[in-house]
Amino acid sequence: MPVVSAFLVHGNPLPLLQPKNPPWKRLHAGYRAAAKALADSKPDVIAVYSTQWIAVLDQLWQTRARSKGVHVDENWHDQGDLKFDIRADVELTNAVIRATPAFGVRSKPVDYDGFPIDTGTIVASRYLNPRGELPFVIASNNVYHDADTTAKLASTVVRCADKLGRRVALVAVGGLSGSIIREEIDVATDHIASESDDAWNRRMLALLESGNRKAILKALPAYAQEARVDMGFKHLSWILGGIGKRYAGAKVHAYGPTYGSGAAVVEFTLS
Amino acid sequence: MAKGKIVAGFLAPHPPHLVYGENPPQNEPRSECGWEQLRWAYERARAALEALKPDVLLVHSPHWNTQLGHHFLGVPELSGKSVDPIFPNLFRYDFNLKVDVELAEACAAEAHAGGLVTRMMRNPGFRVDYGTITTLHMIRPQWDIPVVGISANNSPYYLELGEGLGEMDVLGKATRRAIEKTGRRAVLLASNTLCHWHFHQEPLVPEDMTQERPQSYEGYKWDMRMIELMRRGETAEVFRLLPQFIQEAFAEVKSGAFTWMYAAMGYPNIPAELHGYGNVIGTGNAVMEWNLEKHRKGLRVNDQPVAA
Repeated sequence: MPVVSAFLVHGNPLPLLQPKNPPWKRLHAGYRAAAKALADSKPDVIAVYSTQWIAVLDQLWQTRARSKGVHVDENWHDQGDLKFDIRADVELTNAVIRATPAFGVRSKPVDYDGFPIDTGTIVASRYLNPRGELPFVIASNNVYHDADTTAKLASTVVRCADKLGRRVALVAVGGLSGSIIREEIDVATDHIASESDDAWNRRMLALLESGNRKAILKALPAYAQEARVDMGFKHLSWILGGIGKRYAGAKVHAYGPTYGSGAAVVEFTLS
Repeated sequence: MAKGKIVAGFLAPHPPHLVYGENPPQNEPRSECGWEQLRWAYERARAALEALKPDVLLVHSPHWNTQLGHHFLGVPELSGKSVDPIFPNLFRYDFNLKVDVELAEACAAEAHAGGLVTRMMRNPGFRVDYGTITTLHMIRPQWDIPVVGISANNSPYYLELGEGLGEMDVLGKATRRAIEKTGRRAVLLASNTLCHWHFHQEPLVPEDMTQERPQSYEGYKWDMRMIELMRRGETAEVFRLLPQFIQEAFAEVKSGAFTWMYAAMGYPNIPAELHGYGNVIGTGNAVMEWNLEKHRKGLRVNDQPVAA
């Protein structure tokens, strides 16, 4: 099987830009641990799905061979710039684009100078591919796609990778609870916005660690609604769809707040 | 310094298709035609703007999303390439705009004093969003009037609708106070589509107008009903229906620009001029003008929508 590792990570830039801030130290260290695990799994390509790359027409995929520049986040523009240098696995991505119409999804390539790669993808690439050695498959989040379609997109990436002999690290970039702090705070006091959100996040992370897919899927609708989870936790479907029956559990490298919302770094255990 | 004033407000939607259809030199992709009724509507709006001779254009865009408060462009000059993340095949625009930082700071200060969280955007590497650029290009392609760019805090999505739009009302009134104090002659631009139900696949030729029509009949009827009320100056009825309109037509005015503009203008009961209406990937778009100068005599500044 081509999937050699799988991770669910957050895409908030704050821990990357201010790694010494106490509430964000764990998230920073957790990402570093995930980066080591990813490198140890020796993938040929990283397949990323980020909730922050929004699409509304068709399914978009990044096919620009190399995207390089400096990104300024639209919300956290005062916290620093994000340099990026991202290569795409164009051959694999084009194979995926050709394959998705088989289940009713029209895909389109994105190969434009200056295309605004989203903050989440950039944060993940900076942490997980710090020397830029690995190419990416980068998928958009079509807001009208459900969990099932998202899972099919991931399984299609894996199947196409298998045909091309690629070893894949699957990465889903997205948050946990979505309630945010709407006031200016001392960031050293950052915390999950509510106790109930915190409890829900911890419960879901424990379920992910348990490897009990049935229990996860049962809890997911209530978690998504009550904790206002980022995109209804659709990014988890990228992982579960990609690793299929090999899902055996997970290790939570870090969990913490990002200006009130929940964030985690999770490594999945494959059977 | 003479007291500043708002001379007009425009509903000025931002589908990048309009820039694509026009083929200005700043935009890289080329089209054969497309969305003429809306582009010609903007031509009429451009002539109206020219006659108003404003010092500054203020635009509120739903495509600059900010989590923590309401942000204002705060760099005197911003330039670069803005590629639409959703329609990169249509919009890759080299922008260069001048910001009225003094007014932006005044708006932020007034809004802060009104209880809102505000921030100035001081990063010179910031990429201005396509909503802001499309609206500004379509209303004033010469780019010779300074602008104030305002983010969408998206409070109407995050909070209860009434509470969120209440914040936009506060922001609008703060904007008016800032304009008055700084002596500006200002035009407001609400960068919003009306009915936002849209198709989910793009035609193979995006400008093939045989594919363009309202995506939703119910949404179309809602648009006509609201436009007619605005043309009659029935502001109180517009705002009474606004929550239902937002819900049933998935209207983009939920993002707040429309309420911000109306609040800043003092919810006037004056007839709006419809410059034109058209569909873009099925959504409903109206270019409309509220000319406060033309109706200055007897114009009442209301704290909330009231019947005439």
